[in-house]
Formats: sequence, structure tokens, C-alpha cells
Amino acid sequence: MNVLFIHQAFPAQFGRLSLELTKRYGWTCDFLVENLSSCPTPSAEMLERLKLYRIPTPTEARDQAPTPWPQIHAKYLGLCSAVFHAAEGIPDLKPDLIVGHGGRGSPTVFLPDLFDCPILNYCEYYFSTDPRSDISYRIDLPPANDVAPFFPRCINAPVLVALTNADGGYSATRWQKQSFPKRFHPKIEVQFDGIDTEIYCPKEGTPRVIAGRAIPKGTKIVTFVARGLESMRGFDVFMKVAARIARQRSDVLFVIAGNDHAYYGWDPLHVGQASFKSWVLDRVKHDPDRFLFTGQVSPEVLADILRLSDLHLYLTVPFVLSWSLLDAMACGCVVLGSDVPPVREVIDNGIHGLIEPLFDLDHLTETALRVLDDPATYKPLGNAARARMEADYSLDVCVPRLKDYFERMASRRLASALPDADV
Amino acid sequence: MSQDPLHLLVVETRFPGRLGAVADWMVRKRGCRVTFFCHQADPAPLWPEGTGKGLEVVSFNVGGVAREATVPWTRQLERGLCHAYGAWEVVESRRIRPVDVILGRSNGLGSTLFAPVSYPRAPVVNWFDYYYQARAMDLAEEDAPTLPAEYVQWRRSANAMDLLDLENGVVPWIGTHWQRDLYPPEYRDDFLVLHDGVDTRRFKPRDPTTPRLIGGREIPEGTRVVTFVSSSLDRLRGFDRFYRLAARVLAERSDVLFVAIGDPAVGRTLDVRFHGQNYPDALAKASPLPDPSRLWMPGTVPPNTVAETLAASDLHLVPSRTYPVARSLLEAMASGAVVLAWDAPPIHEVLKSGENAVIVQPEEVERKALEILADPGPFRPIGEAARRTVLDRYDRDETLSSLAETLNDLARGGR
Repeated sequence: MNVLFIHQAFPAQFGRLSLELTKRYGWTCDFLVENLSSCPTPSAEMLERLKLYRIPTPTEARDQAPTPWPQIHAKYLGLCSAVFHAAEGIPDLKPDLIVGHGGRGSPTVFLPDLFDCPILNYCEYYFSTDPRSDISYRIDLPPANDVAPFFPRCINAPVLVALTNADGGYSATRWQKQSFPKRFHPKIEVQFDGIDTEIYCPKEGTPRVIAGRAIPKGTKIVTFVARGLESMRGFDVFMKVAARIARQRSDVLFVIAGNDHAYYGWDPLHVGQASFKSWVLDRVKHDPDRFLFTGQVSPEVLADILRLSDLHLYLTVPFVLSWSLLDAMACGCVVLGSDVPPVREVIDNGIHGLIEPLFDLDHLTETALRVLDDPATYKPLGNAARARMEADYSLDVCVPRLKDYFERMASRRLASALPDADV
Repeated sequence: MSQDPLHLLVVETRFPGRLGAVADWMVRKRGCRVTFFCHQADPAPLWPEGTGKGLEVVSFNVGGVAREATVPWTRQLERGLCHAYGAWEVVESRRIRPVDVILGRSNGLGSTLFAPVSYPRAPVVNWFDYYYQARAMDLAEEDAPTLPAEYVQWRRSANAMDLLDLENGVVPWIGTHWQRDLYPPEYRDDFLVLHDGVDTRRFKPRDPTTPRLIGGREIPEGTRVVTFVSSSLDRLRGFDRFYRLAARVLAERSDVLFVAIGDPAVGRTLDVRFHGQNYPDALAKASPLPDPSRLWMPGTVPPNTVAETLAASDLHLVPSRTYPVARSLLEAMASGAVVLAWDAPPIHEVLKSGENAVIVQPEEVERKALEILADPGPFRPIGEAARRTVLDRYDRDETLSSLAETLNDLARGGR
């Protein structure tokens, strides 16, 4: 079996999965990617076993400034075209199946003209016009009137064009699948990618050092992890809760891993400046000595941080579930999450973790303090979280399921459902 | 809260366009108030009679890429979004209240996409035209093999605005089942399939006691008139096929007059080879007719002139590529013309060969045309049956009454 994966970055979503498919089943996995991630970087084994081909970045995509919303579709089609031309220039590509990442529309739309094989979209998310979801959820922030009514009505165009041109797709969670219009649900399966439960695991004796700072044994560690420190992941809510905790307890260190960048949503419009992190820190009174910002860290470093965590806060709006939540659960952390559907999909309140409403600072703070006051009582929640990750979300569980799914799909072609062509 | 009669807000990039006749009928026959938002309007002689008498036309402007004369195909949706935004801006500034139903056209530039920002509770009904197939239908089978890859890529991406409209809560409305079945299976059940109909009082058989006139010119007794009508005289509607047949028939018979109504400039971007060009000129340069004076091409004419021409027709040709049934075919049928059609899937929804039309394979066209022209008498019952077909199924008073009921239901909160 030969699978061609297409994604903006490598290893990102598909790197580890493809490595496992190669190692476990002898599959060949090729990649068309725009760039290599700096964090996590590709492992030597990945670079040795997987074939990577670069997609030249389309001219219009080189501009790093945010793309105005009406131009997003043109940018997407530029990427589709770049993927087409890149693939056209690689005669060695002979895929049995193509899997494209569809976060902003899978750039696979033109590939049926090159390859006679099924095409799958990784169906990450379909933006909602419902104000109770994703980018519209943070009604507590200054409004982004310039885009708020218009963006959700047109941002899904690339996803729709890609999905209607694809043979099928899969989402990592049930909630992500349900974000898509119901009519497409029969076309989308739920297949989680797999968490590396060997890297992300509890480990006694992990050195109490984070970013070069030694953490005294009696110090409690509260963690927060997000790719970007932004409103959709609740960074500002975290800071408010943390400040309250800090006032109640002098023995807590807050460790925050993530970039000073808003990957989703409208933070610059909400707050009128580029850095949401700075905007929040300027407004939430806090003692900088008790907050340790690590920036983005490697998986190994992140695993060490999570192992030291006494409480992990995950305060997302209803949006794509972060891997970091599952990483924390796999490490046996006690998690306090926001009470939103994607979080409830993996955490049964009081069993695998704790949940409270996102905007309820009082309850979030009280619950956090209870955990910090009495860790022994809550430790079973961390154990149950770890058990759940091993049982349902680990690579050993997910990779065989994905292998079966890919094999099933590779044997199918999109049935022609067109009326008769010209006679 | 719905009003009786309704107040409709219509958005289409051009007036009267497709929805102008619908709006006019709603005003004149149902007493509706209609505010029609358009970016451009045809000359006043082409406006329907209800204009200014309950049908108010409001123009909107566009910004960004929509102001450019041409844009790369990758920016087609952006252009549509700029139109939808331009429409919203004027809709919002006019603040018309109440609006019972919004009516729009999802052809990329007339979308109602942002109208619900101003009217979140008003139901939206959108007329849909055509869902592009990558390598099939219209001119694709002829052009795709020889044109650059971008041609098929454009077609694969060209449905974006239709998809957005379908996913943004509109009631999709379409003229024929064949058009509906071009859409992905996931959407087909949503469609209201209902033709907008033709005006059977305007398009009717000629009173045999009156002279045969076309654009004021009298047709001599004994002259056979062969007609072709399309918005533009293009390949998509088979003007090349019409032209080649005309050349052969003119060489055979001296008593035949060919009349082709439509803009000689190719307006549809679907014909990427000839878009913007004068297609009849291109054909004539490549292969002049034996007697060009016997091919009349009056250009775009008012509806009454179209009706007059079709009523004078002895034979109406429908040489279209595989594309939605043209309104002009139904108008010719309503006029009692004998229709000779090149076989293609969409026409079978309307035509039955030997009953209300003659459908032929391309190689049989010349023989059949000459047979009909030699002795039209035996074929006249086919024209009469065609008229009955339109009266039964495509009479605007019937089809739009049905639409009016749907709009009323929607305004009352149901469907």
C-alpha cells in the first residue's frame, strides 16, 4: 500500500501515523509538504523512512500578513494548484490512496486529473454560524464587528469544495465530525490519530526542572498548554483563574507552554493589538516570578512538564480538541477543563477529570484549589485519564483502525452519480 | 411577521435577469411589493411592466476585485463575495421593514449570502442554475482534452458560491430535475424543482389572418422561416450547428429564411475559446454562407419581437450542447413552433420525439430539416402538442402560482 499524505507542515498531523504504518505494515508513505516544522522537528527515523517532497509556496501565499477573509478561497486554490504542479513533476508518485489535511480545505481538489485513486480529506473542522461555537463563542471580548457576521458564512468554501471532490473523509473526534453539515456525515468516519503513550506517560522521578529553573519539591505546578496563547484556548481565562489561585496559595508555580500567536479566531480584532498574550498580561495583575512561560517546546520536554503537573487547566471554547489535552491525560495529569462538548467527549466529569463552565471563574478557581489542597483524593482521576488514553486513544489502538480504514477506502472509487453525459 | 401581500426582497446582479419576470409577476398578479437589488440594469425597454409600479429597482455597487473587468479564475469566489457584500451594504442602508422573503440567484454574483446579516429571520429562496462537472456537460467534453489543465481546475472549483449558499440555509429552487441532478447527491433532496415558466399570453401561435412580421419586416408568402433564439449566439447553445445547417439548407432551397436572435458577442464565460468575441463573424470568416442575406441576426430584441419571430417560425432549431433547457425552447413551444432538437439528455424532460418535437441524432438533422421544410403540414400537430405541453406544465401563471404558495408558506414559518 502506498499512501500520499499532503499537509502544509511535516511531521504535524500525519508524520507519526505514517511512520507507524511504515514500520508496522511495510507501507510506503510519501509526503507533499510546504515546510518542515520547527517544533516538533521531524525525527531522523521519519526522514529516513518517509519520502518527502516539497510544495513550492505559491507566490500569493508568501506574504505573511493575515489574508483578508474574501481572499482566503483564492489562496486555497493557489495551494491546490501548487500541489497539482508539484505532484505532476514527481513521476515516482504512484499512490493507492491520497490523504489531504483539510484544516483550511484539503488541497487535493485537482489531483483526480493526475491520479486514479481515492482521495480522503482529514475533516478537521467546519466553522459554524452558531454564535455558541468556535470563533463566535467569546462574547465576553470586545466584538470583532468587521468580520463576525460575514466570515462564518463564507469561510467553509474550501472545505466544501474539497469534500465534494473527495471520496471520503475522517475526523479525529465525534464532535469534529458533527461540526460538518449532517448531509456529509455518511461520508465522514471518526478515526483518532493516536497519542504516543510511550512519550506521554507518568514517570516517577522526573527531575523537577523546567526551562532551566529548579522547582522546589513543595511547590505545586499548575500547567497550561496551547499552540498559541489565544482567546479560543482560553489563555486569558487561565490567567484570571491563576491570579486568583495565586492569591489563595503562595506555593504554586504556573507553567505555560505555547507561542505568543493567535492561530485561530480574531484576537487582534478583539483587542486591537497583535499580541493577545501581552494584552492579557497587561490587564491581569500577577506576579511574574510565579509564571513561567516556556514558549513552544518539544514533545519530550512537554511530557516532562506534564509529568510534574499537579493540575492541568484546559480552557478551550467549543473547537477542535487539542492534542495537549490528550497528552496531559496520557501523562496521568488531573485535568480541569471547560465544560464544552469536545471536552466532554473525552472527560466524564469526576471520572477522567473535572469540568466547569468556561466563564465561571469562581467555580474554576474553587475546583482548582480543591485539587491543589487534596491531591490524593483527585489522583484517581489522573489514573483514569491515563487508562482512557491507553484504551481508546493510543497509537496501538488507533493505528490498526486507521490502517483498516485506509485499506477499505483504497478499494473504493467515488461512484458516479451524474445524470447521463452528452450522447 | 408576514404581510399579506408579501414584501419580497430580491437580489440578482442584473435586472431584470432571471428573477425580474418572477418579481414582475408577483407584483402584478399577487399584489406583492418587491424591492429588487441589482448591480446593473438592462436598458429600460427590456424592463418588465411592473417596474415602478410596485417593483422598485435599487442598484448596489461593488468593491475590491469585483470592480475589475476580468479576474483570474482563482478569484471567482472573491468576486462573488464582493458582490454579495455590495448587495448587503445597500440592503442594510435601506433598512426596509418588514421583509417577508428574500429571493436570490446563486450564480456566483447574485448571491444573497450576507442578506441574513440584516434579516436573520427572513427565509431565503435562491434560484440555482448549474453545477459544473469537471469534464462533462456543456463544452467540457469538446474543450477539456485540448485546453490547459487550468480549464478543468477552474471547473472543479467553480461551484464554491453555490455550495456556500446551499449550506447557509437557503431554500434551493431550480428549474428542472436534470439541473437538480447535477448537484452532489447530498443536496438533491433539498431542492424545490419548479420551472419559472413562460408567458403563454405573449408567446402564442400567430393569428393566421394577420401578416407574418419579424421586427417590422414582412415575410413574403411562401417563405419558410427557420428560427434560433439564445441570449447570445454561441457554441454552448449550438449556434455553430445552426450555422452549418443553414449553409446546407440555403444551398438546397431558395425559399428559406433563417433568423437567429441573440447577442452576437459570446457572453457566457463557459465558452473560454470565444468569450467576448463575435461568434457569427468568426464562423462567417471561416466558412461564408451561400447567401448571407437570408440569415437575419437582429441581435438582442425586446420580448415582443422574440414572440413575433417565434410565432412566424416554420421550424425552430434547438442545437444546444448538454446544458439546461433554454427558456427560448419553451417559448417556441408555446408559440406552436415545430421544434427540431439535437438529441441531448436535458431536453428529454420536456420533449418527446414525434409527439411535441422532433429529436434527431446529429447525422440526421439535415435530412429531417429538409423534410419538414418541404412539407410543414404533417408536422403542425407537433407544434400544437408543444403548445399544450407548455400550457400544461410551464405556463407562468401556473408555475409562479405554485411558487407564490411556497413563498407564503415560508413567510408564515413553514414550507
